[in-house]
Amino acid sequence: MSLIIDNISFSYGDRPILSGLSLEVPTGTTTAVVAPSGSGKSTLLRIIAGLIAPSTGSIILDGKDLSRVPTHLRSIGMVFQDNQLFPHLNVYDNVMFGLRMAKTEKTIAAKRCRDLLDLVGLSQVAKQSVATLSGGESKRVALARALAPSPRLLLLDEPLTGLDSELHDRLAHDLQRILHATSTTALLVTHSLPEAEIISDSLHRLPTAVNSVQDGEKK
Amino acid sequence: MVSHRLEMKIRNVRIFAIPAAMLVFVTAVIPLIVLATSVIDRADIFSIWTKPPVQRALVFSLWQALLSTAFTIFLGVIATWYLSRYQFFGRRTFIALVTVPFVLPTVAVGAAFIAVLPKALHHSTLAIVLAHIFFNISIVVRTVGPRWNSIDDQLIDSARTLGASPLQTWRHVIMPLGKNAVFSATALTFFMCFTSYGIITILGGPGLATLDIEIYRRAVQLGDLSGATVLAIAQMLLIAIAFLLWSRSRSTELIAFRVQAVSHRRLSLAPKCFFLALAAFFTVPLLALVAASMRTSHSWSLKGWKVFLGIQNQRGIDFNMWRAIQTSGKYALIASCIALPTGIAATYALSNRRSSQSRLSALVILPLAISPVVVGLAILITYDFQPFDFRSSWLLIPVVHAAIALPFVMRSALPVVDGIPNDLRSAASTLGAGPWRRFFTVELPLLKPAISTGLAFSMAMSLGEFGATSFLTRRESRTIPIIIASLFGKAGEIPRTTGMVASLVLIVLTAMIVVTIDRKSHI
Repeated sequence: MSLIIDNISFSYGDRPILSGLSLEVPTGTTTAVVAPSGSGKSTLLRIIAGLIAPSTGSIILDGKDLSRVPTHLRSIGMVFQDNQLFPHLNVYDNVMFGLRMAKTEKTIAAKRCRDLLDLVGLSQVAKQSVATLSGGESKRVALARALAPSPRLLLLDEPLTGLDSELHDRLAHDLQRILHATSTTALLVTHSLPEAEIISDSLHRLPTAVNSVQDGEKK
Repeated sequence: MVSHRLEMKIRNVRIFAIPAAMLVFVTAVIPLIVLATSVIDRADIFSIWTKPPVQRALVFSLWQALLSTAFTIFLGVIATWYLSRYQFFGRRTFIALVTVPFVLPTVAVGAAFIAVLPKALHHSTLAIVLAHIFFNISIVVRTVGPRWNSIDDQLIDSARTLGASPLQTWRHVIMPLGKNAVFSATALTFFMCFTSYGIITILGGPGLATLDIEIYRRAVQLGDLSGATVLAIAQMLLIAIAFLLWSRSRSTELIAFRVQAVSHRRLSLAPKCFFLALAAFFTVPLLALVAASMRTSHSWSLKGWKVFLGIQNQRGIDFNMWRAIQTSGKYALIASCIALPTGIAATYALSNRRSSQSRLSALVILPLAISPVVVGLAILITYDFQPFDFRSSWLLIPVVHAAIALPFVMRSALPVVDGIPNDLRSAASTLGAGPWRRFFTVELPLLKPAISTGLAFSMAMSLGEFGATSFLTRRESRTIPIIIASLFGKAGEIPRTTGMVASLVLIVLTAMIVVTIDRKSHI
């Protein structure tokens, strides 16, 4: 059981972004796709999340083709490059959002939310507005929020871009620890090879704009 | 030394608010104080509410305003959502189509709805509600549009990846983010409908009178100034509450809805049909007005145009249209010449400053919270004794128009003035520009969009102003809206057709001015 990306192609108008891409992410592991900017990494994640439709190919999660499943029913979480925290909700309510959408029973949801805030080390700022958070804190909230509804797959889009180098390294290790602790199946895209090496169990490279993934190399 | 002193003075920019404050003081504050203190007969304070016409007016004002507001907000929110988030054919034209009506002359729009509706509905609540929707949807688009326009697509995507269905996304993300703006739009729409006067003058009738109409009837037709004043003050208090709610949020600048890049989302069939229907709603009354201006009940005829242009005489119609156009144009120009500099100067004084300025800013925005009818009545009562008998001065009307336009000028200028970074001023100074030089070479060019929007607003407001003018007008100084209302008040077919012609001319004139002066911000 795992995520299988089967022969995905996508183009904006005449400009091909992805062509014939195939990839597999085994359950409970973190796989990284490393590629330079503009190579279609984010597009790939958006296709997997169902935010855009591929021109060809299919996404199969736990043996089920997701082509006709809308985003909100896919149970695929995503950490966006610039976090996209809800500005009208505080830290706690941001993390609670997915649990509320799933109508999780209140006490269970509250406990899950507290546990996750503990895990990312932000219990003390739970009631704060997200506008007051630092870059690293925002990233942790985004991660906790995405993990809260226990998604079957977590997508991470350049999760450490824009952080200063010390914070970057610390957060990379934290991320690895948290993903392991929650045994989350995750797909990470990044332009940074060292980052991918810290966080992921296996990695792939997408060398150019139009590409097919070359052989996956084991760390 | 001199220039140093000048520099000091200019730094204390608060003095720039003085002309605007004086304008408001003379046209609103003093008259309202006089109104409240001089003519009220104490017995009326309670007894007036027992009079059946007053009760009817109060109930009708509330009920039609609630109904109009509910429909306006409902349709406006849907339209705003698609206009601010989707790309579709005709989107730009549509934004212009829904945002221009707000500045159109009320009586002329009333005439357009007479032209389009079947006779049985001419004087009905339905006609009034439709006309109010026509007018006020633009408030929703202008206040909520920029808010929703600025929501990052990915924020909505992130809600979806967290399991929110489209309906849940709407409820938990989109509505909360637009809440303040929707709330202000609701308050302002309610205020506009509650104090509706021009529309009701044309589309109202027996049992369909608002409080403003009742105030006018009491003051002018019954000579009951005391009763009219009690009503005016009660209305003011009610509106002040609504206004307080409205000004809670600053997302209410009536800035034009600037078209920003939107995602490539396409409309599905249902919203396409919605927009088609809405486009028809905005254009058909105007087309019907064109047709009605060339028709008498049985046949096509240019009689209305002939009477309008003075080519043909008609018994009972004694105005000179050219003169009315001249008068309206003159007033609009003078009003803008007053409102624009005072408004922009005051905006300057009030921008970027918090605490002590808020009272001053409330003073300048005050006219927005007072119905023009009340202003007209107050001025009529205040300035009627020597040496302050200004009532016969023709300048009074454009000055009042300027005061009415002032808050709109300021609201459109505020975001622009606020947006000029202080460092830019400092940079100009370090490059050797003195305060005046800095203003003319750096700030004035940046203020251009605010100036054109303010000019368009004040011209349009003056051209269409009916409430205050109806109290202050003299036989020789009648504006086009006054003439339209008097034509629709006359019996017979020719006056009505001529009224249609006058309405059409006024609408075209106003729309042309707004679209030419303020083209960039509308389209």
